[in-house]
Amino acid sequence: MAQESARHRILCPRCDAPQEVSRQAKSVLCPSCHRNIATADLEIDEYCARIEVFTAGRLRVGKKGTLIAEVRAEEIQVKGEIKGPVRSRGLVALEKGARLFGSLACPRLRVAEGAQLVGSVAAGPGAAELLAGTGAPPEAGPGRAAG
Amino acid sequence: MADNLSAGPGVTVIGADCSFKGEATFEGSMKVEGKFEGKIQSKGKLSVGKAAQVSADVTAGQVHLEGSFKGNLSAMERIELAASAHVHGDIRAPKLVVAEGATFVGNCHVSPDALKAGAQGSEFVVPMAATPIKK
Repeated sequence: MAQESARHRILCPRCDAPQEVSRQAKSVLCPSCHRNIATADLEIDEYCARIEVFTAGRLRVGKKGTLIAEVRAEEIQVKGEIKGPVRSRGLVALEKGARLFGSLACPRLRVAEGAQLVGSVAAGPGAAELLAGTGAPPEAGPGRAAG
Repeated sequence: MADNLSAGPGVTVIGADCSFKGEATFEGSMKVEGKFEGKIQSKGKLSVGKAAQVSADVTAGQVHLEGSFKGNLSAMERIELAASAHVHGDIRAPKLVVAEGATFVGNCHVSPDALKAGAQGSEFVVPMAATPIKK
C-alpha cells in the first residue's frame, strides 16, 4: 500500500492562498494574509457560539452539537445544527435530523431525508455557472421580500 | 416515491419530442421528458426526466427531479433532486432529499412547517450571504 505523504496542500479559508503543510500540523500561519489557519479536523458535539469557525480541515457537527458561527471548512458533515453562513470547498452532508439555518455555498451537497435547510443555497458543480448566468446571488430570488 | 413513473393509466406524459406552454393540472402522476413552460398545480406526483427542461411555478404533492428546472417549486410532501438535477429557483417543502452531484441555486425552506409558513405569507429568511466559492 502506498504510504500517505507527510505533507499536503491546503488553501487558506480566508484568502485562498495555497501552501504545503505537514499532516500533523494543527495550525499554521497563512503566508498571504498572515492569519492563523486551523488545519485540524474539528468535531463539535455541544453548544458552541463563535464569530467564525474556519478550518482547512473537515468539520463535523454531531447530533448534540449546535454551532452558531460563520463556517468555512473543506468538508462539512452535519448531524446537529448550524446557524450562520456556511461555505465549503468540498462536500456538505446534511444527515437525517440535521438543521442548517443560513446561506450555503458548496460544490457538492447531499441532503438526507429528515434534514432541515432554511436559507439561500448555491450548491453543486453547476452552481457557479447558474450564478454567473443571472449575475445575482441566490438571495435575490423571487420568493424573498425586501428587508 | 417511485423514481421513474412508467407510462401507465393515470400517468400524464409529456414526451421527449413535445414542447408544452401553459398551465397544467392533474390528479395522479405526470412525467415530463420534453420542454414545459408555465404553471403546474396538482396534489399528485410530478417527475421531471433527465433530458427535460422545465421552466415553471410548480405546486405538487411529490416532486422527483432529474433534469433541468427553473422556477419556484413547492411540494406538500417531498422533493427529490437526483444527481443529474439542475434547479434554479426557490424550494419549499417539508422534506427534501438531494443526491450528491445535483446543482441547486436558490432559496430553500425545508422544515416540517415550511408550507404553513408559506401559507401565512412569511418569506424566506436569509441571515447572511456566504462568500462566493472561488475556483
